[in-house]
Amino acid sequence: MTTADQLAAHGLDLRYGDRLVVGGLDLTLPGGAVTAIVGPNACGKSTLLRGLSRLLAPAAGRVTLDGADIHRMSARALALRMGLLPQQPVTPEAITVEALVRLGRYPHQRLLSPWSAADQRAVDEALERTGTAGLRDHPVDQLSGGQRQRAWIALALAQDTELLLLDEPTTFLDLRHQLDVLDLVAALHAEAGRTVVMVLHDLGQAARYADHMVVLKDGRLAATGAPADVLDADLVKSVFDVDCRVIPDPETGTPLVIPKAGAVRHSAVSA
Amino acid sequence: MTPTTSTTSMPPATTAAVASRRTASRARRRHRRRVLVLAGACLVALFALLTVSLTTGEMPMSAPTALRALLGLGDAGDVLVVQQFRAPRAVAAVVAGAGLGAAGCVLQRLFRNPLASPDVMGMTGGASLGAVALLAAGASQTLVPVGALAGGLVAALLLGAFAWRSGLAVTRLVLTGLAVQAGLAAAVNLMIVRFPTELAGSALQWTTGSVYGRTWTQVWGAGAAMVVALAATLALHRGLAVLDLGDDSAGALGLRTSRARLRLLFLAVVLASLAAALAGPVTFVALAVPHIVRFLTGPPTVASPVLAALTGAVLLLASDLVVQHLLPVEGLPVGAVTATLGAPWLLVLMFRQSAPARREHV
Repeated sequence: MTTADQLAAHGLDLRYGDRLVVGGLDLTLPGGAVTAIVGPNACGKSTLLRGLSRLLAPAAGRVTLDGADIHRMSARALALRMGLLPQQPVTPEAITVEALVRLGRYPHQRLLSPWSAADQRAVDEALERTGTAGLRDHPVDQLSGGQRQRAWIALALAQDTELLLLDEPTTFLDLRHQLDVLDLVAALHAEAGRTVVMVLHDLGQAARYADHMVVLKDGRLAATGAPADVLDADLVKSVFDVDCRVIPDPETGTPLVIPKAGAVRHSAVSA
Repeated sequence: MTPTTSTTSMPPATTAAVASRRTASRARRRHRRRVLVLAGACLVALFALLTVSLTTGEMPMSAPTALRALLGLGDAGDVLVVQQFRAPRAVAAVVAGAGLGAAGCVLQRLFRNPLASPDVMGMTGGASLGAVALLAAGASQTLVPVGALAGGLVAALLLGAFAWRSGLAVTRLVLTGLAVQAGLAAAVNLMIVRFPTELAGSALQWTTGSVYGRTWTQVWGAGAAMVVALAATLALHRGLAVLDLGDDSAGALGLRTSRARLRLLFLAVVLASLAAALAGPVTFVALAVPHIVRFLTGPPTVASPVLAALTGAVLLLASDLVVQHLLPVEGLPVGAVTATLGAPWLLVLMFRQSAPARREHV
């Protein structure tokens, strides 16, 4: 972990209209690490990600990147340092994989400047890394869910930023493709030294793939730290209202949440 | 994946990369070929149509004679007819057609709506009213583009005030636009009846759309402004492609989405208003041209606004020649032809819009 690419929230309030979604959040996300943001539905995970990436202006407080307020930076300057994959990105009609990924070079291009060799190199690398090079001429809207998600990650990679924010990158994917995406994220961090911040649903996956964990409840910080330090039965009970046991993952030793068997299932078995 | 002896020495990743790059260039080359074919066809058609428009009429002449007359050589009568009547009319049709095509292209992409176009959304009507109001007030012809621009912007603001709050729902936008357009057209008619002397002779231009009787003064002013507007459209086009990704992705790529949208909308209004300053409220061209370009070259790319401008120019110039020479009725305005084509086209698009099968965004 390094001190560069360090994203932080200071007394952050995020609102949609009158509704306070995230309130009074103080948070530091370590640079050079993979951070997972977890929490129950509607706890403000995605909202926090939008706030951290300038898509949502804070109602109060600040978001800083290495100490500089991101709302005082130019949109382009920030886009050169931080990429974001929304939860449900809009795929333009009939666009090919390569045309989509090329749009990731937008912040690098100047008015009237032509497509450069560096741009093409970044696009080729992003396609190779995500395993979508063979699909470059395919229309994105005809790909499977897993392929489409990789194409979108390729766009974010072509943007070539040190920081990558992913909003539920595994939602709507089957287990195989979930693991593909998470392994890709792990490789990006391990090989390219990227800082990744992602919203995840699955606590076990979050514990496995993240160095750092942020647990939200009702728009407030419930816990933060290394998964092994943070994730225990009390936390899961208080945040998710689920009785569980937390055991070491037999594969990795990271915490694994095993919900206790519910009453309904007992009665179904005994009946 | 059948390596020959020459490629087996290469690492497999490189082979795959080279192969995929080769297929990429093939696909892009195919698209580029289609774009070039359409652009070339448009240029040839423009040249042919311009020749026809300079040579035919009540005083038919050969192409070389017409060309010499255009340069001020030869018979004085020929020079007058070509330089003062035929050439400005043809150039006006080309410039207005180009502006309408590009405006329709930008608007349909911006609103993600195949029905969006300046004549459906009231901008053309606003521009005509602005021009007529200025002429009625006794202003000179050189100020017509200014009046048109002001009118077009007011119409866009009106449409925005009525339709923006509904989140720009497709049907609401079109219905509001058509209502605004109808109201503005009525206002134009009122002005023409009210100020018969000031607007004498130009009634057909401002009610139906016509390029009859354009002068070089009008053509140069609007034409120069149009070139600037087209260049700006091309420069901002990259933002249009990024906007297609939705606001969150576009914002994450460093595009200020609201500002980019307003700029593009403003440009579309400028293009449509300048076209209206030259040709009045011509319908159909802006609505149909993006569909034609799409049908011939596939999904929109950076080349689309250029192709739309070329196709629009061909379409309007051809329509004007049909009006002048092929129809048995004398003195019909070009807007009558485009409106005749446009009404059924709009109906077809509306039916297709309301069909239940819609593409899904994921």
